Amino acid sequence: MRRDTGCNAIDHAISRRALLAGSAAATAVGVAGKVLPAETKQLKTQQKRILQVFLQGGLSQLESWDPKPGTRYGGPFRAIDTSVPGIRISELLPHIAQRMHHLSIVRSIDIKTNSHQQGRLFMERGRRAGVFPYVGTIAAKYLAPKTASLPGYMHVTTRGLDDNTNAFLPAQFAQLKLPGAAAPENLKHSGKLTADAAKRRNELRRRLSQRFSGKVGQPAFTDSYDSSYTLADKLLAKKGLFEGEPPPKELERYGSHPFGRNCIVARKLLEAGSTCVKVTHHGYDTHAENFNFHLEQLAEFDKTFCMLLDDLHDSGMLESTLVLIMSEFGRTPKINQRYGRDHWGTAWSMALGGCGIKPGVVIGKTNDEGTAVADREVDGRHLFHTYFRALGIDTTDHHDMPGRAIPIGDPSAEAIGELLA
Amino acid sequence: MSDAINDEPAPPAFPEDAPLPIDVKKTHVAAEFKHEFPLTTCRIDPTGRFVFAGAEDLNVYRWSLSQKKNESDKPAAKTTFSGHESWVRSMDFSPDGQWLYTGGYDDHIGIWRADDSQPKPVRMIEAHKGWVRWVRVSRDGQLLASCGNDNLVKVWKLPEFELVQQFEGHKRYPYAVDFHPDGKRLVSFDLMGVIKEWDIDSGKELRSMEAKFMWGFDQKFRADMGGARDLRFSPDGKTLAVAGLTDVTNAFAGVHKPMILLVDWDAGKHLQKLKADSYKGMAWGVRFHPEGFLVAVGAPQSGASGVLWFWKPGEDKPFHTVKLSHCGRAVDLTPDATKLAIAQFDGKLTVYQMTEKVAS
Repeated sequence: MRRDTGCNAIDHAISRRALLAGSAAATAVGVAGKVLPAETKQLKTQQKRILQVFLQGGLSQLESWDPKPGTRYGGPFRAIDTSVPGIRISELLPHIAQRMHHLSIVRSIDIKTNSHQQGRLFMERGRRAGVFPYVGTIAAKYLAPKTASLPGYMHVTTRGLDDNTNAFLPAQFAQLKLPGAAAPENLKHSGKLTADAAKRRNELRRRLSQRFSGKVGQPAFTDSYDSSYTLADKLLAKKGLFEGEPPPKELERYGSHPFGRNCIVARKLLEAGSTCVKVTHHGYDTHAENFNFHLEQLAEFDKTFCMLLDDLHDSGMLESTLVLIMSEFGRTPKINQRYGRDHWGTAWSMALGGCGIKPGVVIGKTNDEGTAVADREVDGRHLFHTYFRALGIDTTDHHDMPGRAIPIGDPSAEAIGELLA
Repeated sequence: MSDAINDEPAPPAFPEDAPLPIDVKKTHVAAEFKHEFPLTTCRIDPTGRFVFAGAEDLNVYRWSLSQKKNESDKPAAKTTFSGHESWVRSMDFSPDGQWLYTGGYDDHIGIWRADDSQPKPVRMIEAHKGWVRWVRVSRDGQLLASCGNDNLVKVWKLPEFELVQQFEGHKRYPYAVDFHPDGKRLVSFDLMGVIKEWDIDSGKELRSMEAKFMWGFDQKFRADMGGARDLRFSPDGKTLAVAGLTDVTNAFAGVHKPMILLVDWDAGKHLQKLKADSYKGMAWGVRFHPEGFLVAVGAPQSGASGVLWFWKPGEDKPFHTVKLSHCGRAVDLTPDATKLAIAQFDGKLTVYQMTEKVAS
């Protein structure tokens, strides 16, 4: 694989399409020249949603959003200009560099942990400790329309951990994990079961659940049981999203690798009404050969992510979609003996854009060698508030739980106001 | 031929300058040069005057080999070659030692006068789209071969630096190249353990072989780990030595074992897979010593137990090992093959002498 310099024929084709999309004659033309489904048109004006791209293992901030070439720990990669004057990012992200005007960067994250699990939980829950709902669950609960035709929080990943994503919120808002782009297993009814029979069977099950819930007095358990059937039903109705091979042109743009295919599915899910779609790209825990692996991983991520970003932009959905590119932490400035970088929660970065986010902004900075935050330190709490303020949710409000009120965001922190549009 | 008058062999003309016999087991530190950044590679120039090293600060440095370890308390004088915008992992020289060629991860090959007192690049050539991983000058000094992250192997005519061949065929990054001593063929080794032989004149691929055991696919992280960290033909061209890794179990944590592969080049067969079984890490450099043994350096997966191995082809285990102060990242021999230099992760450029110590 050669390093992608961000200038290929297919990208020029995309620019041409983007140009067409701006003309009146092309307002009905969406991605890949297709007519937008009515559902998508409605979505783009009414519903707000999240695209969460999780770079699992810990993306190196020095090889991405906060390059420091020529410094003690700068590594071998150079920095390049972006479409936003004054913002330079790693040469490993040439496609994003051309689209920097859609995104902003936070360069001053200090979560004070180097643990994969603690970092992930802090970045997802916006709380340093305790069991709280994930970003996707909050989105599903507060942004998903009651009539949503898909589960509110879906995670496309080739592997991953099973987390308690909904915490104390109802199970219907929990993450539904899809094992890659293929249709989930057991999505089809048994061959002998007709659709009508399945419907009647489900109604009987629902009534029994209601009776059981009322008598035994543990509605949370039956809710959970019930919601799994509801989610399965919704997926079943949309199984077409997973069927068939993507068109060759789409695979050429996104890449035929698993992450490319996962991002194609992510776009379909967002277009079909899912409120939070998380896509995980694995392979950033680079304790050895950090530079060779980031070269490969980011070449895959950069191009593919940008195709997804372009499609959201071209379809008009980007302005109502909060886009998050995040990890559980960054990587050490110090380069170890294996040409690796280790876990580093002390001074790292993420990028975000879309709905409610001021584009082309850089928040905070690290010191000259990237070993500490030098200005505007933030952590998972501030970011969590920022995401949902951008989406119009008041994070100082409370989850309305029976008998108790739990603040949505951590009351000890506030949103990053400079990022909010 | 015997002399009719005196049957005794003639004594050396200058006995005090006569080279001492190689005695690997008496290998000792002859000089040590310290740099503030980890080193990435090293080479000794063909005249034996200088040793050069690349560093993680983007520069190349030159030390005079006539400096001794304990000559003074001051750090040894070094000359900086500044011009690359990224790390240099590979260097080579014109046969007369006048020109230094540096391959940078900034896509460029630098051309320098090797003995300049204030070096500046004479030319910086954008040689590949992506890292230049390796540069190698042919034995007659007429050609330079390079390979890079555009998956290409290129041959340049010297001194004009005119591109005369471009070989396409590697599907993943070629890590290193070397000219066969016959001057007609070139070999390259890529990330996936694929070895290709190219005909320089016709531009055709002659052979493709595999050493898949020097590559591993990490199932958990879905990543490939492999490639040559050094590549050398024996002086007679019969054997190719490849330094690298094998038995990858966790690519992202660097869990693998070092390996030196020896290939019978004409037969296209793997002669031997040299492994230090109890050692986990990477083999970063290898050289054929004129006395018939191999010199190689390794770096451990963790800790500081860098190692210098001396191996005899045909034997399973090294016949001598020297512990380094930290990870070895490259090795090179002096022209008279009495000394070797090692570039290390701790910034040390250490020169070892493979003879008994001489009283100073």
